[in-house]
Formats: sequence, structure tokens, C-alpha cells
Amino acid sequence: MRSVLAVARAGHGPLIEYRAVSVSYGELLAVNNVSFSVERGEILCVIGPNGAGKTTLLRMTSGLLRPTSGEIWFDGLRVDRMQAHRIAALGTTQVFQDIQLFENMSVLDNVMAGAHGWTDTGFVGASLRVASAIDEERWMRRAAIQQLSALGLAGVLHEYPEELSWGEQKLVGLARALLCRPILLLLDEPYGGLDTEEIDRLSRTLRALKNEGMTILMVEHLTDIVMDVADRVVVLHYGEKLAEGTPDAIREDERVIATYLGD
Amino acid sequence: MSPIVNRAKERAARLVPMPRVPRAALILLAVVAVLPLIGSAYLMSILIKVGLHAVIGMGLILLTGLAGQVSLGQGVFYGTGAYVSALLCLRFGISPWLAMPLAAAASGLLAAPIGRAILRLRGIIVAGVTLTVNLIFFYLVVSVSDLTGGATGLSQIPRFEYPKVVSYTTFIFYAVWLLAVLCLILTTNLASSRVGRALKSVNVLGHGTEDTPQVLGIDVMHFKVAAYVGAAVFAGVAGSVYAHHISVIEPHTFSVQTSVLVAIMVVLGGVTNPWGAIVGSALIVGLTELLREVAPIVLGGPTGSYELVAYGVVLVLTLLFLPSGLCSLPARIEQWRRGRRL
Repeated sequence: MRSVLAVARAGHGPLIEYRAVSVSYGELLAVNNVSFSVERGEILCVIGPNGAGKTTLLRMTSGLLRPTSGEIWFDGLRVDRMQAHRIAALGTTQVFQDIQLFENMSVLDNVMAGAHGWTDTGFVGASLRVASAIDEERWMRRAAIQQLSALGLAGVLHEYPEELSWGEQKLVGLARALLCRPILLLLDEPYGGLDTEEIDRLSRTLRALKNEGMTILMVEHLTDIVMDVADRVVVLHYGEKLAEGTPDAIREDERVIATYLGD
Repeated sequence: MSPIVNRAKERAARLVPMPRVPRAALILLAVVAVLPLIGSAYLMSILIKVGLHAVIGMGLILLTGLAGQVSLGQGVFYGTGAYVSALLCLRFGISPWLAMPLAAAASGLLAAPIGRAILRLRGIIVAGVTLTVNLIFFYLVVSVSDLTGGATGLSQIPRFEYPKVVSYTTFIFYAVWLLAVLCLILTTNLASSRVGRALKSVNVLGHGTEDTPQVLGIDVMHFKVAAYVGAAVFAGVAGSVYAHHISVIEPHTFSVQTSVLVAIMVVLGGVTNPWGAIVGSALIVGLTELLREVAPIVLGGPTGSYELVAYGVVLVLTLLFLPSGLCSLPARIEQWRRGRRL
């Protein structure tokens, strides 16, 4: 029942704060002294060309990568030295650019795996199928089916990931992440490879999630879509923060136009 | 009734086990019940061997089939179960019935630190290291002869006390197969649960990374080690039953050869299906017995050399034509029939 606690703990101030964060891979400085914050309930998009450090920033946020220097604070807790599964337990999850669905599980099981954090059946309870484990399994199943149905995927519950289109896989990845009941959702290029209809559906879903109070930090290179869906935008360039502001302000920022957006 | 009593009752109700028992497991139990009435003592002893290997194999289904961690060292925990159980009875005079759970717990306790150290590694390297641990275990058992009896092992291990309405071999046959069916039910239930999904999520054999389970809040190391400990407990119970069945144990029984053989059984039967352990074990033990009878007559010479060739041939053929193991045969036939109908 972790997320309930996480939501209850949600207080004032920014949800995520990056304080002078840097990451280097040997000689290469992937992220250089970046500071900004993500406010509660906003959609913040990080844009920039390939190699700007966008994905690195997301991986640091979810604990899959440790910054070389600097601090990351999530909901008032310093998390830059925390293990990824512990950060997830605080109320965050990530959808990867390549989705990474579990190929050895059906769509329904993939999404039910998202409920791991707020359920607690252990080895003994699961192997003996005690009454509480059966109840919990029912809740998870019901929640997963509801989530998949809400995203228009009720027809593929028992399919395997390899049988789905790319767009469907993206939505299953999102459904799995949403079943984690996160307060912060991290999305790595969620629009990549989607057709126009799927893009519209995803934008509508993200706006609905924001209206429900979820905070979304997204990395994307399709700038037109980003400008449409985001509340604020951060521009990274070769690992450094080039600009930060509303989509309109970013569109008119001369440095961003010169180095990234063009005419 | 007081609220405290009511709450305690509610809590107890939530812990009532309601295991899902596959219909095939009931059929297996029925077959097991009547077999001693029609089978010879020789057949019983072979089927005891099949059942014991199936129990160890079931542990590998948990560890490799679900969690994707390859082990070629289950002999360590099979041996730990056997030696701990034997020593508890011989040195401290405790009942084999009490020694058995203690031996299983000892195997699990030994597996926890070993698993924590080994499972930081990835892929096939894990298999290599588990095999090395099995080699170390073998030489350790041989070296610490004051305790283990060295290369000659331990003898006069007491038998289980039981109501003497059937022979001891028949009693052990029933005990082993009840244990095998219990392990089958536990593994099957686990596979379709929250824990089963967590184990499958850390299975990155041939695909995926460990990033995804982590961002879903799954403690990857915890589940890998837990699967390793679970597999060790299964092997430990099998080792204990083996020791009190044979009454004599020696290190060679728990060598790398046994570990590799169990791994081959599971691959042959189907590593992702709990029935795979039973099918694979029956095939390999059956093949071994067949060769023992037939090979010296037809081909001449010692049997041992033919066994290895036969295992190799069966393994290669299975991997070529049924890579998911013999348990996938019905599904493959159904697929083929559907294909023909189209």
C-alpha cells in the first residue's frame, strides 16, 4: 500500500529538485552542472538534440544511474544515492524509450507486475495461495483490466508483447507504469514511433493524468508535440541547461532557436 | 465477542491456504496410490529415484524457469540436506522426521549468502560459478572426514519411523511422491502469483534488462536470492529423504555430475513448466536403467560410457525439435493440427 502513503506524504515545494547535477562516463561529461525543479502536478518536458543528456537525466531520477556530483531531491528526500526499487517505492516509475515489456508474460501479467509495489503477498502466501493472496490477486487483476480498457487495450489481455504493434506496446508500457500508482511518471520519448491517432490518444491521456494531479517528467525530441502538451520545457544541449520556461517562452528564446529549434 | 478476538479471527481467515491443485496432479496421486500394488520392488526403487530428482528439478524450475538464474550446483544443497540430516540423527540421536525440516532449513541458510554473492553476476557466468561451488563442496566433504566420513561417507543412518503396514521401500515411495506433488503444487501456485511475476520480471535470459523490474519497485537481488534459497530448500528436503532411504551416503552422490544431470533433466522436460522436472527425471532415470539392462548385452562393455552419449543425443534432439522441452509437445501437436486445418 505504498503509493497511498506516498500521496499522503506529498506536501509543499517542488516534487523533484536537481541541484548542480553532473554525470560523466570516463572523459565524457554527459550532464554538466544542471539545476532545475519539477513542480507538483505539472508536465515538464526536457528537449534537446541526441546526446544532450536527456535519457541520462531520467535514469538518474529513477535511480538507475548515480550522478557523479550534485544532488537529486524527490518530495523532500535526497534520492541520488538510493537504489532504484526504493525510489520507485516512494512513488515514481519510468517508461523506457524501448518500453521493455516482459516477453515471458502476457499483456495482463505485464500490467499486473506494475502493482507489485502496493501489494505484499510473499513466497509462503503465494505458494500456499492463502485467502489474502487470492484477494490481492483479484484486486490486481481487476485494476489491470480497468487500466488496459481505459487505454483501449481490452482486446489484447492474453496476447504476448511480440504479438502487439509498436503503438500497442507503448500503451501497455504506460498501463503498467500507471498501475504502479505513481505520483511522478517519467517518460522517455513516449511519442516515438506512434501514428497521428496514437499521438492524439497519448496526449489526451497525459493531460487527463495531469488533471488527476500526477506529475509528469518527459523527455522528447518531437518539439511540436512537446510544445502542445507541456506546461514547462527545459532545453539541454551537450549536457548543459540551455533554457527553461513555458513553451511560448522557449519558442522565442534566441539561444534555443539558434542552437536547436531553427527557423 | 471482543473486537480483539474478532480481529484475530479475521486475520486467521486471511491466512487459510486454498492451494490450486491441478487435475493432472490428482491423477498422478491416484497412479502413485495404486502403483505399489502392481509394481515390483525394483520398479519402486527406480520411481523413488525419479521422484527425488524431480523434487530437486522443481527447485530449478523456480530458479531457472521463473527467475532465469542457471545453476549447475544443486548437488551442494542436495548434499547439505543429506549430511545435515544424517549427522543430526547419528550424532544427536534426533528423529529423522525432525532432522528433515532442519536439514532443509540448513540448505536454505547455506544458500542465502552463496546466492547473495553469486547472483550479482549475470548470465552463463552464474552457471560456471555454481558449478565451481559444487566442486569446492565435494572436496570439502571429502576433506572434513572426521565429520563427514570423507570419501567413504556415512553409514547406518536411521530410517524414518512409520506405521509398518507396508514395506519401507513402499513407504518411501509414497513419501517421495507426496513430496514431489506438494512441490509441484507450490511451484505452480507461485508461478501464477505476484511473486511469480516478480521472479519472471528478473528473468533476463536472452532478453531485457534488470532496469524494468527496478523501476516497478521490484528488489531484483531479493527475488533472485529468494529463488536460489527456495531451490536449495527443495534440494535439501530431497537430500534428507535420500539419506534416510538409502541409510548410506557418500560424497560422489552430490557431485557436479548429479547437478549437471538434474539440469539436463529439467531442460529435457521443459524448464518453464513444473511438470518438466517430473517428465525429464522420468526420462533420464528410465534411460539410465534401460541402458544398464540393454547396453551390455547389445553393445558389450561398461554401461557408464553409453549413458553420457545417450544423454547427449537426447538433449541435442530435444533442443533441436522441442526447445521448450517435452512438456511443450502437446501444445506443438495442437499448433501443427491447427496449421493443417488452415
